[in-house]
Amino acid sequence: MLRLHDITAGYGDTTVLRDVSLPVPRRSVVALLGANGAGKTTTLRVASGLLAPGSGTLHLDGTDLTGRRPHVLARRGVCHVPEGRGIFPNLSVRDNIAVHAAGADTGEAVDRAVSAFPVLGEKLGQQAGALSGGQQQMLALSRAYVTEPSYVLLDEVSMGLAPVVVDEIFEFLGRLAEQGCALVLVEQYVAKALELADYVFLLARGRLEFAGEPGELDAAQLMEKYMGTHT
Amino acid sequence: MTSSEHDGLRVDGLTIAFGGNTAVDGLSFAAPRGRITGLIGPNGAGKTTTFNACSGLLRPSAGSVRLFGTDITGRGPAARAQHGLGRTFQRMDLFDSLTVEQNIALGLEARLARSNPLKQLRCPRRDRTSVRAATEAVLELCDLGPHRGDPAGSLSTGQRRLVDLGRVLAGGFDMLLLDEPSSGLDSAETRRFGRIVTRVVADSGCGVLLVEHDMSLVMSICEHLYVLDFGKMIFEGDPADVRASDAVRAAYLGSEAA
Amino acid sequence: MNDLLPFLVVGVTTGSIYGLAAMGLVLTYKTSGIFNFAHGAIAALAAYAFYDLTTLRGLPWPVALLLAAVVLPPVLAVSLERMARGLAGASVTMKIVATVGLQLAITGALMAHYGAAGLPFPTFLPVDTVTVSGVHVGIDQLISASVAAAGAAAFFLFFRLSSLGVRMRAVVDDPDLLELTGTSAFAVRSWAWLIGSWFAAISGILLAPQIGLDALLLTLLVVQAYGAAAVGMFASLPLTYAGGLLIGVLAAFATTIAAGSQALAGLPPAVPFLVLFVVLLVAGRSRLADAGTHRPAPVSAPLLTPRATRGFAVAATVLAAAVPLLAGPRLPVYANALVFLLIFTSLYLLVRISGQVSLAHAALVAVGSATFSHLAVGAGLPWLLAVLLAGAAAVPVGAVVAIPAIRLSGLFLALATFGFGLLLERLLYRSGVMFGATGTLPAARPEHFSSDTAFYYVLLAFAAGGMVLVAAVTRSRLGRLLRAMADSPTSLATLGAGINVTRVTVFCVSAFIAGIAGALHASVSQSATGTPFTAYASLTWLAVLVLFSVARSAAPVLAALFLTVAPAYSSSDTAVDWMPVLFGLGAMLVALHEASARPRTTTGDGTAGASSRARERIGAPSAARERLQAAAGRAGGRAGPDTGRLRVGRPRQQGDTR
Repeated sequence: MLRLHDITAGYGDTTVLRDVSLPVPRRSVVALLGANGAGKTTTLRVASGLLAPGSGTLHLDGTDLTGRRPHVLARRGVCHVPEGRGIFPNLSVRDNIAVHAAGADTGEAVDRAVSAFPVLGEKLGQQAGALSGGQQQMLALSRAYVTEPSYVLLDEVSMGLAPVVVDEIFEFLGRLAEQGCALVLVEQYVAKALELADYVFLLARGRLEFAGEPGELDAAQLMEKYMGTHT
Repeated sequence: MTSSEHDGLRVDGLTIAFGGNTAVDGLSFAAPRGRITGLIGPNGAGKTTTFNACSGLLRPSAGSVRLFGTDITGRGPAARAQHGLGRTFQRMDLFDSLTVEQNIALGLEARLARSNPLKQLRCPRRDRTSVRAATEAVLELCDLGPHRGDPAGSLSTGQRRLVDLGRVLAGGFDMLLLDEPSSGLDSAETRRFGRIVTRVVADSGCGVLLVEHDMSLVMSICEHLYVLDFGKMIFEGDPADVRASDAVRAAYLGSEAA
Repeated sequence: MNDLLPFLVVGVTTGSIYGLAAMGLVLTYKTSGIFNFAHGAIAALAAYAFYDLTTLRGLPWPVALLLAAVVLPPVLAVSLERMARGLAGASVTMKIVATVGLQLAITGALMAHYGAAGLPFPTFLPVDTVTVSGVHVGIDQLISASVAAAGAAAFFLFFRLSSLGVRMRAVVDDPDLLELTGTSAFAVRSWAWLIGSWFAAISGILLAPQIGLDALLLTLLVVQAYGAAAVGMFASLPLTYAGGLLIGVLAAFATTIAAGSQALAGLPPAVPFLVLFVVLLVAGRSRLADAGTHRPAPVSAPLLTPRATRGFAVAATVLAAAVPLLAGPRLPVYANALVFLLIFTSLYLLVRISGQVSLAHAALVAVGSATFSHLAVGAGLPWLLAVLLAGAAAVPVGAVVAIPAIRLSGLFLALATFGFGLLLERLLYRSGVMFGATGTLPAARPEHFSSDTAFYYVLLAFAAGGMVLVAAVTRSRLGRLLRAMADSPTSLATLGAGINVTRVTVFCVSAFIAGIAGALHASVSQSATGTPFTAYASLTWLAVLVLFSVARSAAPVLAALFLTVAPAYSSSDTAVDWMPVLFGLGAMLVALHEASARPRTTTGDGTAGASSRARERIGAPSAARERLQAAAGRAGGRAGPDTGRLRVGRPRQQGDTR
């Protein structure tokens, strides 16, 4: 289990998360929802070690890893695909995959990446920044397949992509889940995320407002959080 | 419609592309004087891009930005400010080492100093009086009086938002662009911020264009909303219409949710 | 053509070494976000170590070479990486001050330990000559050039093909993302620092036989690498190496052009800085996004209440007025201190109030000094008029220095001004235009005030006047605009102020005061010379001023006292020799301390101000937005984040945002 417990975190003098606890069991899919600015990205940054929490703990399979650097967590099976495009734009596609493989055999890693997203096979020599947005995101996501992590944290991976590409990406996420990867989804396509999710957490202004299963969350409640219709 | 095209901010056919990617595509909208106009949309819809094109930090690939009837598309930020356009920053770019009072006073002083070296060097007596008056009025309005002597860098996020707003209010701009003012604020602070903006518009008759993700703020203070998605306008109407719109709901929650 | 061939050969051999040094500099800058002003000092350190081990300790040269060029650099690299990590999130000024401080410390220590005079460098390579198409070439030169070229080529291949090289390019693109893939960004940066230090050390040992062992000269020679790095736009490695060759060849050709002409004598050594200054001016901000997002100094409560400050000012003035009664034979020292007080006051206005780093300040003082002598002695103008006109003469020079300030910010402004200062120093100080054929011009004190005591009071009046002027500017509208600009140029511009005008104005005011200080300096010593006003002095002044920045507005006073008066009271020469080391280390510690007071993320990302990035994060920004902010930085203010690329021969391409 990847477990955030009583996390308070922020940047400088601004506190973004207050007492947030987020358990992610192995092999589960967790949807982390909330309006913009609710603290979803910050939660993922804490979970992958990019941001050290002010207080609270981070445990990975029973080991306390609070305050450890991201590469330590990555080596232990946490794969965070950050918001934006998680690629090195000035490196070739092949070099991107080589960096993802982190020392493992590059050839094998390239084969796995291409088997996940065949379109990457035709682009190996190209500069990653010159790919289309969808291809860039596929390249970023291929890391979750190449390195065989136990936990994959996905931050708005469908943002700004055409619907066809979004479908392909969700198909890939479904396959990852089937293979036993635990997923944490921060996703604006709420309906798609809920289809996959075993658990739902709802953040509002840095606090956990709801934790439960998708069935327990009704659409009205969700709209209220997103659209402020409670007036 | 009584508002003529000479009233407020008017954007026509705005298109902004980055390296072959169109972030904003043929956008047109108007933010007249005396009204709070909202620009909303999901993440990555192109709100901030549009906003930066309005305030002069970004040159559009096509289209025009007009302010009170003057085409300001090619002008820089300082020239737009001289023409009456003020903006706040989501990241609250305050003058951190200066006091709250100095920050607010600079809202007007920067405008009075312009690009004139002599005016930048010294402050005529007449200016001093008007700067003082404007600063006092804003300190009062934003309830920042108790903090006037504090360095802006030492304030809480809620107070920093108010100082950022206070600067443009002191500047006496006729058109205000507010960039995601609720981020980092709690709901009480957000409501208070909304009340101040509403009051300013009622009192001074200036226009406000609000880019915001906090729907409760947008729904409570905006009279008219434009909804963006994928850089295009997908809906336009008053808050009740927007709330009822399936298209808007779909844009926010994903197509299947509609 | 055959006449030029020898110069071409000489140019290529030295240029190749510059290119190697410059590649190391660019590598560490791009991977860590810290521009290492101490790069040349590392070269000097390695050369001295080699000298020490061979000449003084009698080790065989291959062993000495191994120790100085291979074993020493890792030790330095570890400390440099540590320092870079500590500076993550620091303001650009502090990033500059930290490595400038390190440079002063290393160079100062070398001069204190081995003496400031040049030493003969042991020849260890064969010195026979061979004839290449009619040109005699030293075998040592050939070997040096080949070693440098081979090093550059090997590194290029390593960077392009090896897995560590790929990760180095990845850390340039996005250190956070590299961490997320399971590679420690710090570890990769350590390797970059190691390679950078190796390149510096090797170039130092290869250059020393050609120019002799001189700490200052060696430090500055690798500064030629700045020019080469500028040709590569601080990003492209092959272009950087080519830039090194270009500078070597241009400098060699300049030697032929300048031969026999006294006016042009300074041209050859000035070539690299000419290149640096011109490239920075032409390239401008669209190509050179500054690595450090500007962050204002952290806010702390004022040290003293305004009333207490006034009290101190009065007490200090009284004390200063009593100095002639107390100082005895040391009065000239205090007179000199007053001149430096004026210099530091003008620098304080620029650096601490407006937040702009200028490394050409000594040149402005020199201009004032020379002008004064020409006017007062040459043209026979009245003393006071000549002093004021000397100040006025420095103003246009200050405005020229300010041109880069309009187009560049932070690091590149500092580099451009440093280049300008060196340019002036090399080109004009010794050419006779400024200080005559002998390098020294006569200067006089005013009639009726020529005694030491009387003139001391004249100086006191000027110093007090300068401080009152700066205090008045600080309190004026300009002062408010300047401090606002130091915090956030972008928002000041969106409020309607023309910030370019603000930038130029403050440079002009500062130059005026510096020019007057130059005139007074000439008056005190009754001669005008450029010797004390080198670019090295500019670096020292900046470090000393920052060292005392904790004293806030009293910093110029303390800086002047410590730079001039403290040595006079020191009983041992050794202590005086080691003072620059103290200044350098002190400035470095102040910079690190200021950096540690800032919040930052766990990876300590050095390529962007962590806290500014954090503020943007609050509202969950998109990649497109961050790119926009970069664009915004270019369009309005100049606080755009780094475009973050290290190019290896490929054209840059605009990445898709969608």
